[in-house]
Amino acid sequence: MKYPYLPVVILWLASLLATLALAADPLQLTSFAASPSSESFREFAAITTGDWQRYGQLFTGWQATLFPRLFLLVVLVPSTIFLLHYIAIGAKEFDHTSGRVLFFGLLVRLIHWLVAASFTVLVLTGLMVIFGRLLGGGPLVAEARSVHLVAAPVFVVCVIPMFLAWLKDMLPMPWDLAWFLILGGYLSKKKRPVPAARFNGGQKVWFWLATVGGGVMAWSGYELYGFRMATDQIRLAAMIHNILGAALVAFFIVHLYMSLFAIRGALGSMISGYKCRQEVEILHSRFPVD
Amino acid sequence: MARVKFLCDVERCIDCNGCVVACKEGNQVPVGINRRRVVTINEGKPGEKSISVACMHCADAPCIAVCPVDAIYQRDDGIVLVNKKTCIGCGYCFMACPFGAPQFPGDRVFGARGAMDKCTFCAGGPEKTFSEEERNLYGQNRIAEGKVPLCAAMCATRALMAGDADKIADIYRQRVFRRGSGANAWGWDRAYQGK
Repeated sequence: MKYPYLPVVILWLASLLATLALAADPLQLTSFAASPSSESFREFAAITTGDWQRYGQLFTGWQATLFPRLFLLVVLVPSTIFLLHYIAIGAKEFDHTSGRVLFFGLLVRLIHWLVAASFTVLVLTGLMVIFGRLLGGGPLVAEARSVHLVAAPVFVVCVIPMFLAWLKDMLPMPWDLAWFLILGGYLSKKKRPVPAARFNGGQKVWFWLATVGGGVMAWSGYELYGFRMATDQIRLAAMIHNILGAALVAFFIVHLYMSLFAIRGALGSMISGYKCRQEVEILHSRFPVD
Repeated sequence: MARVKFLCDVERCIDCNGCVVACKEGNQVPVGINRRRVVTINEGKPGEKSISVACMHCADAPCIAVCPVDAIYQRDDGIVLVNKKTCIGCGYCFMACPFGAPQFPGDRVFGARGAMDKCTFCAGGPEKTFSEEERNLYGQNRIAEGKVPLCAAMCATRALMAGDADKIADIYRQRVFRRGSGANAWGWDRAYQGK
């Protein structure tokens, strides 16, 4: 042969070209490139814990610190304020001999009490779960959670007709602002006519919070029960459920005080349907009394 | 004894799922609940890696922080355990866990979650050690027998290690020094010579 080393050179050139061709396609060489274990660990961490960086950390922090304190505040502060209010100012009493006005029809009263019963059960069992460690956890709190779950659809079914029945009377009106500025006249013992139609500004806020807010609680609660959504969405639902729940507990205490203590005979009005004329003329001055 | 930890060596894990099966079988874990799982990246491609994940028994466990009934506790050796009798199944621990370790059966009304189950590091639970109740609720208590958890004991390539954190870190360090990583980590003598 003239050039005996020629096949060797050709072979060497071919393998060099093959390597260069492979290098052009990075995928072919990744298994041979230096890929430290730390890179792999980082990638695994991103897969298993990645979404925890979004809401997981926030949820953990809030559930560990913020929510227990928030609920403690929300249960103690309004109660204390109202206790002081009752001592300082006391209940508003109206003249029941002044005649009476039909304020709540039978159907509306029935629906209100159905909603009230399910809502009360939801609040009480919800608080039992929040403060579970004070009750020692276990079967008691687990049953409270089950009751909470069963009461929720009852509430949802009953609140819809209540929402529809009172929607028109609960729409915000210009005089509601004036009502808020004097805080409905509850800061004074005097009985001066207060700007409100069938429902005053405070009642409207409570209505919207309890119905629309209640609906949001039902949706977030359903996500918490089902665990069918993405984990991050479940965390968001838990945070919404806790914060909105705290607001609802606070306003529930306000509603209880106003209807049971602050206005004498208010509870009777929701049972019989009648308010005394003087009460309507003072507290609901824009309501047409014939 | 110092804290105990899991460490899965991704250079050795071969995605055989032996750890998953050993745990499930040995602890009689109920249907639908998997205490351990294997995650794989680049499956079928060059650079395929696998890791075995279960509860990491975190030092500052988020699950302990969020539990509303304080059902989760941590032992002195770092093992995080749940008291199934206290647990109400609210699921906050699942939401707080970065690794999705807590698992739940659908025992309660309307299929609501029952008490949480997760990797126990084969250390049983708060009930009396080696009692029938402990075994039924939590599975084996191998730590009390002086044994390593089932998953790590089962691992054929010794990818998954469980035990004293210092000792495991030491073993892993020696492996890394000896074998290097990436292209240099290939070959029988690199992987198994000596250890």
